Amino acid sequence: MKRGTRRIETQLAVIGTGIAGFAASIFALQRGLDVAQFGHSGAMAYTTGYLDLLGVHDQRVRTDPWAALDDLRRDEPHHPMSGLGNQTIRTAFDGFTDALGEMGIGYTRAGERNLSGLLPNGIAKPTLSVPDTMLAGITALETGARTLVIDFDGLQGFSAKAFEVNFAERWPALRSARLTFPGMENRQVFPEVLARSLETRATQDALAEAIRPLLNGAEYVGLPAILGMHAPDAVLARMQEAIGVKLFEIPTIPPAVPGIRLRECFERAFPEMGAKLEPQLKVANVEFGVSGATLYLHGPMEDLQVEASAVLLATGRFLSGGLRSDQHRLSETLLDLPIRQPEGRQEWFRREYLDPRGHPVNRLGVEVDSTFRPIGPDGDPVHEKLFAAGAILAHQDWARQRCGAGLAIATAYSATEAATAALG
Amino acid sequence: MGAHSRENTLDFLQVAKDLLPSGASYDACVGCGICASGCPASGLFGMDPRRFINMAMLGMNEELSTTPWVWACTQCKRCAYLCPMGIDVSLLVGAARGAWPTEDKPSGIVRSCAAQRLDESTSAMGLMSEDFVEIVEETVEELKENDSRFADLKVPIDKKGAKFVINQNSREPATEPEEMAPLWKILDYVGADWTYASKGWAAENFCMFTGDLDAWKDMVETRVNAINALECETWINTECGHSFFTLWAGIEKFGLEANFEAESLVTYYAQWIREGKLPVNSDWNKGNLKFTVQDPCQLVRKSIGDQAADDLRFVVKTLVGEENFIDMQPCRSANYCCGGGGGFLQAGMSKERRAYGKRKFDQIIATEADYVLTPCHNCHSQIDDVGEHFGGAYTVTHLWTLICLSLGILGPDERKYLGPDLADINLPEGT
Repeated sequence: MKRGTRRIETQLAVIGTGIAGFAASIFALQRGLDVAQFGHSGAMAYTTGYLDLLGVHDQRVRTDPWAALDDLRRDEPHHPMSGLGNQTIRTAFDGFTDALGEMGIGYTRAGERNLSGLLPNGIAKPTLSVPDTMLAGITALETGARTLVIDFDGLQGFSAKAFEVNFAERWPALRSARLTFPGMENRQVFPEVLARSLETRATQDALAEAIRPLLNGAEYVGLPAILGMHAPDAVLARMQEAIGVKLFEIPTIPPAVPGIRLRECFERAFPEMGAKLEPQLKVANVEFGVSGATLYLHGPMEDLQVEASAVLLATGRFLSGGLRSDQHRLSETLLDLPIRQPEGRQEWFRREYLDPRGHPVNRLGVEVDSTFRPIGPDGDPVHEKLFAAGAILAHQDWARQRCGAGLAIATAYSATEAATAALG
Repeated sequence: MGAHSRENTLDFLQVAKDLLPSGASYDACVGCGICASGCPASGLFGMDPRRFINMAMLGMNEELSTTPWVWACTQCKRCAYLCPMGIDVSLLVGAARGAWPTEDKPSGIVRSCAAQRLDESTSAMGLMSEDFVEIVEETVEELKENDSRFADLKVPIDKKGAKFVINQNSREPATEPEEMAPLWKILDYVGADWTYASKGWAAENFCMFTGDLDAWKDMVETRVNAINALECETWINTECGHSFFTLWAGIEKFGLEANFEAESLVTYYAQWIREGKLPVNSDWNKGNLKFTVQDPCQLVRKSIGDQAADDLRFVVKTLVGEENFIDMQPCRSANYCCGGGGGFLQAGMSKERRAYGKRKFDQIIATEADYVLTPCHNCHSQIDDVGEHFGGAYTVTHLWTLICLSLGILGPDERKYLGPDLADINLPEGT
C-alpha cells in the first residue's frame, strides 16, 4: 500500500473558500467553465450574513452606495472596485444573490440605498443586501414598531437586554425577554446548536409555544439567527405562522449561523452544479508551466494533483491564511507573490488603534493589473493565467469601508470574466 | 470513572508540537469557537474542544490529563475540519487517552482490546480463528441447503492469491451468523474472486481507542502480516468505518510494509453497479419509503473524503430511487459523528453518549426518513439506540440487506434489520 495520488483536470482552479472563492466558482460555472475549488474552513463562519457593498467612504457612513462608489473611484483610483463600473458591480451582486436564492437561501436584491442592518449589540450598520430572514427587523427599526427581542438561557454572545438598552432611544417600543430553549435546559448553548435543533418540527412548535405568551401586543419578534440551517426561509415562515406575528433574525457574534449556512449551502449545492469542491483541503503548492498550473494537495488518505488551465487566488488575508506576517514583512503564503510594502513594521500602524483613517497594513496586499492578474515589481503579470480576487487584493480596507462582500463579489466577477477570456 | 494519578500528566503544549500538522499551532487559535459550536460532545463533562485548547495554553495539564471528556470525544475530527487554523483536537485526545492508567480507562474499551490480542483472529468479541472458520463453514452449509440458487456458493478462507481479501465484523459470526449471508450472496452474484483470512479477519480495532499506540500497532501488524501472506491484490473493508481507518492510518503511522491496496466495500458496491454486475434498482420500493444515509466519519471525513460519500449516494439512490433519498444536513465530509465512534458505545457512558447522539437524532428526524442506511456497525448500533431512546420511528439497515432485497435474493431470515413494511417484499421464489 503506497499513498495514492488522484489526478484531476480543470479549466479553472479556484483557491479559497470564502465569499470571493465561492462567488468566483459561481460566475465561472455561469460562464461555462469547468471549475474545481479548494480551500479550508476559512473565515466564512465569521460573517453576519449581510452583504455590504460600500457603507463607509471618506470616514462617513453612506446611504447611497452607488454614489459612494463614484466618490471612491475619484478618491481611491487604486481600490480594486474602482476599475469596475456600477453596472458591472450591480450585475455581479445580483448574480450572486440570485444564485444564493436558487441554492436555498433567500437574499434581498441590491437596491438603490443601503439598509440599516441590525447588529447583536443593538446598533445598526449600512449594508446592501440581507438574508430574507433578517429583513423584517430592518422594517421594525425604521417604523419603530412594537417589537419583542428574545434571547436564551446559556446562549453566549447575544443579549436581548443589551440589544434593547442600546436601541432604547431610537426604538422605544422595543422590549426584551429571555427564554429557556426547548430541550436545552441548564447548559451553555451555541447558536448553531439551536439552529440544528430548529430543523425539526417538534422544536419549532415547542419554541413557538414558549414565545406566544410573551407577545403582549408586539407586532414583531426578533430572535438571534437560529432559524434552521438549511431552509431558513421555510423555518421562518412556519414559525411566523405558529407565533402569529412577523419574525426576524438578528446576526450573532462568531461562530454564527448565517456564515455556517452559506458554507453548508455551497457544500450542498456545488456538487449538483457540477463544480468539483474540496472544502477541507488546503492547496500545499502550485507550480506554473507552459499550459497552466499544477496544484498539489494532501488529503487524509491520498494526495491530489490538479492540472488547471488557469488559477484564481482568493485566499483572503491573515485569518484565512492568504497573507502572513512576521516581525519584518508581509508575505503571500502560497506563491510568495510580491507585496509592495513599507521598509519597516513601524509604518504598518498609526499611533491610535481606533484612528478613523485605519492602518496602512490593512491596505497592503496583492497588486493586480486591470484584468486582476497579480503583477510583479515591473508591473507585468506574474503569470498569464493567474488571477486574484477578494480581500487579498491591495489598496482596500474592507472592514473599515464596509465593503467586504462587494469587494469579494465584484472582483470575483471581473476576475472570472478575464480568466474566461484568457482561456479562449 | 476515577481520575488517575499525577505521574501520568502530559505536557499538552509539547504533545501539540509533536502531533499537530505543520502550520497548525495553539498560538494560531483565535478562540472563535467554531470547533466547540460544531462538536456534539461540547458541554459533556463541562468540556468542549475550544476549552480543551484554552486549558492547554494555560498549562492546565493535570485537568486535561484527567478529564473523562476524552472518552466522550469520538475523535471524529469535525473540529479539525472546521478550524481555520488546522488544529486537530482529536490527536490531543488520543494522547490523553493513552496516558490514563489502564485500570482507570473505560473497561469496555480495554476489554475489547484485550480480547483482540488473545489470538491472531483479532476479534474484539474474543472469537478465536478456528471458531470463526467453523461458524462460517456451518453457515455456508445452511445457506446452501436452504436456498438452491446458492447451492454452489463458496466462501473461501485463506485462499492465497485471491483478488480480494475481505474482513468481517465479529458481531455477525458471534451473534447473528445469518447476517453474513447477504454479503456472500453479493460477492457470489458479481463473481468476485475473494477470500476471508482466518487470521486478522475481524473488522474492529478497539486498541486504537484505548490510546495505547503499542496495542494499535500490534493489531495492525497482525492483520497486515495475515493479509500480506495471502498475497491478495486488494483488502476490502466491510461495512465498517473505524476498522478501515485504523488499518490504513496505522500502516502509515507505524511505517508498516503492506503489499495490498486498502479499499472500502462501498467503493466496490458502486463499481459493481456501474459495471452492471450488480443490477439493482428501486422497483421494489413501491411504497416510496424514504431513506437517508449516515456518512461514517472514519470512512468519509477521516479517510477517503467526499468520493466515498459520492459512491455511497450513488449506491443508495440506485437502490431506493433518487426521489426517495433525502440527505441529512450537514452531510458528506461535514457530517456529524453519530456518537457511536471512538469506543463511546463500549465506554459505559450511556447518558452522555445519548446526549451526544441527540444531534444525530434531530438530523435524522428532520429528513422524515423511514430508514437510515449505515455502512458502519458502530453507527448502526448508536443510531438504532438513540432512535429507541428518543422515540424515533425510523429503522436502521445495512446496505447488503437492501442490495439483496433489490436483487430478490434476501432470504426471510436475513430481514431482522428491515421494518414490517419490507418483511415480505421481493422474497426469493420458493421461500
